[in-house]
Amino acid sequence: MTWSQKTDERAQAIIARYPDPRSATMPLLYLAMHEDGHLTEDGMREVAARVGLTPAQVQSVASFYTMYKRDRTGRYLVSVCTSISCMLLGADDVLAAVSEETGVADGDTDEDGLFSVEHAECIGACGGAPAVQVNYELVEGVTPEQGKALCAWLREARPEVVLGDEMQELFGGQRSFEWGPSETAGAVGPFPAFEPYGTAKEGR
Amino acid sequence: MAWRYLKQVEGFWVVFRQMFKPRVTTPYPKVKRVKPQRFHGRHVLNRYPNGMEKCIGCELCAGVCPARCIYVRGKDNPVDEPVSPGERYGFIYEINMLRCIFCAMCVEACPTEAITMTQLFEMSVQGREDAIYTRSELLMSPDGVVPHPQPQSKFNDLGELTLADGWMRATAAAGRAEYQGIRHWTPTAGAGHRPPEQGQAADGVPETEEESEG
Amino acid sequence: MSDEATPGMVKITIDGREMQVPAGDLLIAAAEKAGTYIPRFCWHSRMKPVGLCRMCLVEVEGPRGTMLTTSCTMQVNDGMVVHTESDVVKKAQEGVLEFLLINHPLDCPVCDKGGECPLQDQTVSFGPGESRFVEEKRHFEKPIPISDLVLLDRERCILCARCTRFSEEISGDPLIEFVERGSGTQVLTFPDEPFASYFSGNTVQICPVGALTATAYRFRARPWDLQAAESTCPHCSVGCRISVQSSQNQVLRFQGVDVDSTNQGWLCDKGRFGFEYLNSPDRLSTPKMAGDDGLQEASWIDALDAAASGLMSIIDEHGPGAVAGIGGARGTNEEAYAFGKFLRSVVGTGHLDAQIGDGLEPRLLAAPADRGLIGDLEKASSILVWGPDLKEELPVLYLRVRRAATELGAKLVVAHPRRTGLDDVATHTLRYRPGAGQDLLRRLAAGEGDAGAALAALKEGPTVVITGLAGLTEGPDLAEAVAAFGRDLPDATVLPVARRSNVFGALDMGVSPALLPGRASAVDDGARATLSGHWGADVPDGSGRDTAGIIEGLEAGAIRAVVLLGADPAVDFPDPARASAALAGAELIVAIDMFESVSTSMATVVFPALGFTETEGTVTNLEGRVQKVSRLLPGPGGARPSWEILEDVATRMGGSIGATSAGVIATEIEKVAPAYAGATWDALNTAFGRDGIVVPTADATQPIEYVPVDRPSAPVQRDLVLHLARVLYDGGTTVQRGLSLAKLAAEPAVYITPQDAHRLGVADGSAVRLSGGNGSAELTARFDDSLTPGAVYLPFNLGISVGSGLEVELEALA
Repeated sequence: MTWSQKTDERAQAIIARYPDPRSATMPLLYLAMHEDGHLTEDGMREVAARVGLTPAQVQSVASFYTMYKRDRTGRYLVSVCTSISCMLLGADDVLAAVSEETGVADGDTDEDGLFSVEHAECIGACGGAPAVQVNYELVEGVTPEQGKALCAWLREARPEVVLGDEMQELFGGQRSFEWGPSETAGAVGPFPAFEPYGTAKEGR
Repeated sequence: MAWRYLKQVEGFWVVFRQMFKPRVTTPYPKVKRVKPQRFHGRHVLNRYPNGMEKCIGCELCAGVCPARCIYVRGKDNPVDEPVSPGERYGFIYEINMLRCIFCAMCVEACPTEAITMTQLFEMSVQGREDAIYTRSELLMSPDGVVPHPQPQSKFNDLGELTLADGWMRATAAAGRAEYQGIRHWTPTAGAGHRPPEQGQAADGVPETEEESEG
Repeated sequence: MSDEATPGMVKITIDGREMQVPAGDLLIAAAEKAGTYIPRFCWHSRMKPVGLCRMCLVEVEGPRGTMLTTSCTMQVNDGMVVHTESDVVKKAQEGVLEFLLINHPLDCPVCDKGGECPLQDQTVSFGPGESRFVEEKRHFEKPIPISDLVLLDRERCILCARCTRFSEEISGDPLIEFVERGSGTQVLTFPDEPFASYFSGNTVQICPVGALTATAYRFRARPWDLQAAESTCPHCSVGCRISVQSSQNQVLRFQGVDVDSTNQGWLCDKGRFGFEYLNSPDRLSTPKMAGDDGLQEASWIDALDAAASGLMSIIDEHGPGAVAGIGGARGTNEEAYAFGKFLRSVVGTGHLDAQIGDGLEPRLLAAPADRGLIGDLEKASSILVWGPDLKEELPVLYLRVRRAATELGAKLVVAHPRRTGLDDVATHTLRYRPGAGQDLLRRLAAGEGDAGAALAALKEGPTVVITGLAGLTEGPDLAEAVAAFGRDLPDATVLPVARRSNVFGALDMGVSPALLPGRASAVDDGARATLSGHWGADVPDGSGRDTAGIIEGLEAGAIRAVVLLGADPAVDFPDPARASAALAGAELIVAIDMFESVSTSMATVVFPALGFTETEGTVTNLEGRVQKVSRLLPGPGGARPSWEILEDVATRMGGSIGATSAGVIATEIEKVAPAYAGATWDALNTAFGRDGIVVPTADATQPIEYVPVDRPSAPVQRDLVLHLARVLYDGGTTVQRGLSLAKLAAEPAVYITPQDAHRLGVADGSAVRLSGGNGSAELTARFDDSLTPGAVYLPFNLGISVGSGLEVELEALA
């Protein structure tokens, strides 16, 4: 496998930002992930060759971080926090509800590639527990019923860009606090890897 | 001079007197004495009820043997037909019975209760090399029968091969009072009840009806 | 202890004992030197600390109170007060062990490490005795092969990262790494990228549990039924110290022994697993004599008689100059000495050589001026490696150079016709077309162009210059010129290298036309007279032939008989076909060997010899370090030591080499060879121990005429030149007769630059015909962009030979 010319140019630009090519490993992994939809073995090999590491070392980095998806991932990634605050306020039920509604077990992706469901460790929204993320956009205070409704809405509406504020309005409960203006492109839209953070102009 | 002959008759008196006392000898080998419960006889390599060998070839018995009479070598279990549970099985297992001092340290060291001792003590052989017992002599058959060294002899007491030795009786589940009467696979040859030793029977629990002949 | 602090030392208190330790030492190391053992798993004295396993927690008193800290990451400070046995430390150790044992399976009885396992030992010494963990342990597939030599059992792994750190820090091929995280963390390779490192076996040795095990040793024995003897690795001339371990008269493994001067604990896989050939069923165990169809088993008496009478009739008919000897570099110094003495004094010939046409000028190897030590690399500011790819030929020397370049910050200049293992860590990489090395050297010496920066780096002393034969198609002149260049650098030492295991010992024992035992010159009449005084026989002058000369002599009919001692010129000579044809024409070949080989198949008499682990003696490594090899096993059947066979043949020829035991020969060497004075077995066994004795070169420095640095390279006519070089796993006996290593030898292929391939219409992986000086072969072409255009590379001794000529032709096959 080789990368498209555009991806290749981006990779070159990212590597050029660092004194040592291996520093570019993590941004390049995002690049590889977006190139193939998820992080493939070939993608990791490609990154390894570019940054001067062995594939084993790249795999080590890629497998440490849960946001590098090494398996096929659906269009909407629903992450249900199951760490302690959320767990105490019924996150397990939310997770079960989400699984039931989407028909996707924890850690799995459905056949059509629409939904992936996972349980997440603390996503920093303990004040609004139980919290759910869709494509890393946060919804707080989600009950099992709201979780189901959220998934049903995603299936029906198929929003191009998932926005936290919108989902919070429709399905959220108590918020921990006002999070401020959100990225209009959604959390997975801009790649902080390509541009200094906050200057990204490009959508997904 | 009759008193001289009297002395000789006095000798017969000893014989005469003994004729009315109980006999202390037994007509071995037709009749065998009951051996102590913790008698150390020949070894046996056991199997699990499903036929798998218990020996994993770990060589702890060989390592602990004070007479250095055990030779074990392990080998990878064949993937398709494993001989024992786990990765390794006893590929070579030999005990030189001429060197063995029947201390049962091997039994004590065995982590899987694979090697135990029976009550069989008749191990005369016709050549020194025959005294080296290999897997074919030591290993019980899949149905739990221990091969007898002189299978054709009419004086065999096969019961000797079915009774556990002392160490296993003292430590194995089957030897403990709380397991009394519970049918349990024992480390010795064959499954079945094992009589508790003296003092082991729990109060109020009747002795097992099924005594091992031994 | 006095109150005066020695410079460079600091005073610390461990468990109430005050002691002085070197400043900058890690607490765990300082404590160990001072006699306090702090338990550890992840810390290894030859690697950087990570503080992962937490086993080495100790209490250190500080301004903010007494705190638990990992002693492997804490440097000693003046006045430091440490407690290693307090209740708090004990509780910490018990806790750490209880944690480590949560997931560690208790399958010690079937684990290869059981009995020598640091986790077992330290659990018994420092552990809590029982665990509160009753849940299910984590499960993985039981051992998965991560390479052909190493198995990984992830259930047993305690995640100390010793193996991953070794492969990254020490050997430089990080093919294993931690994968996943949290309770899922495990060591793994990348899918389809096995842990194919030349040093993978070291991870098995340093693994503190049985997570990494070696296929060659798996389930062969338990540690307590191993007999061990310390010895010296027989696979190359680095002379790594090893522990030979056997059970039931079979060698079962080699372990590296940590010696500062040579291997620092590491071994290459060829050394570590290259013991299996000793147990091979193919070992010769009876003498053999040529019969109607091939070699037939013969009695010792017949074979000895045949060898002696054969040699005598050739001496009678054609004079002693018709007999030659090749070999001696595979065995001990004692065997080499007996070989040289047999040929020089009993036969009376000066044609003898321990190198098989693939070495350097013997006088340069035996006693060069300004010879360096491997240890010099530790303090070198710059290093020049111009010779073989050290990773392929002298792997542990590669580790030492790599350590100097990465860990110790030396500037490394590597010159080789293609990519070498050291290029990744080199400061300057110089490539040249085989045959044009002299031009590059001239440019380097003059600092021209891109070589200017390299020269500037090399001028920063102290410098170590490692020189040797980069490829077999190039003559030995280049290495001499590099040595001459090295001598001219300020503050430089030169380390000429050759690969074959005891070639340095054999040369020191005079198995070379130019050298007498003890590095005396064979052209020096005085030295010859002294030697003949010792031997009571005339010593031939230094005009004898080396191996190439002997092959020529065989072709010309000047040499009619050859004695081979553990040598297979029909395979090892750079042009095997030529050597094979020459040997086939010999009237008499007497071979002493462990195996039948191509050369012995042409022999008249073959004697079975005892090999490594079966004979006692000394060997000399590439820096002139004399080390002991030990005898542990009886050897197969009727095999006998080589010196004994030579003595028996000598007796039947009416002479004697006075060899009644290896020890007697050693005593004689010490007396006859001036440089070896003091290097007795006793001294090696006791006072000097595992470091051995470096035989001084200063007195015996050979007056060799170094090839001038600025000599032009010979012109090349054809478009392509051949780079012919050895690889670690080749067709050699010690590799091929062992089950584990034999399968590692690569498929032969010819490597070509993409540019040349394009010009010749060759695709990567396509079939080509390579024609060289002596023969041609069909093989697969592979692209290698590290070669200089106009050069092709063929690995030596992988079953394909086209002769040793520099110029070759290559054509694509349809």
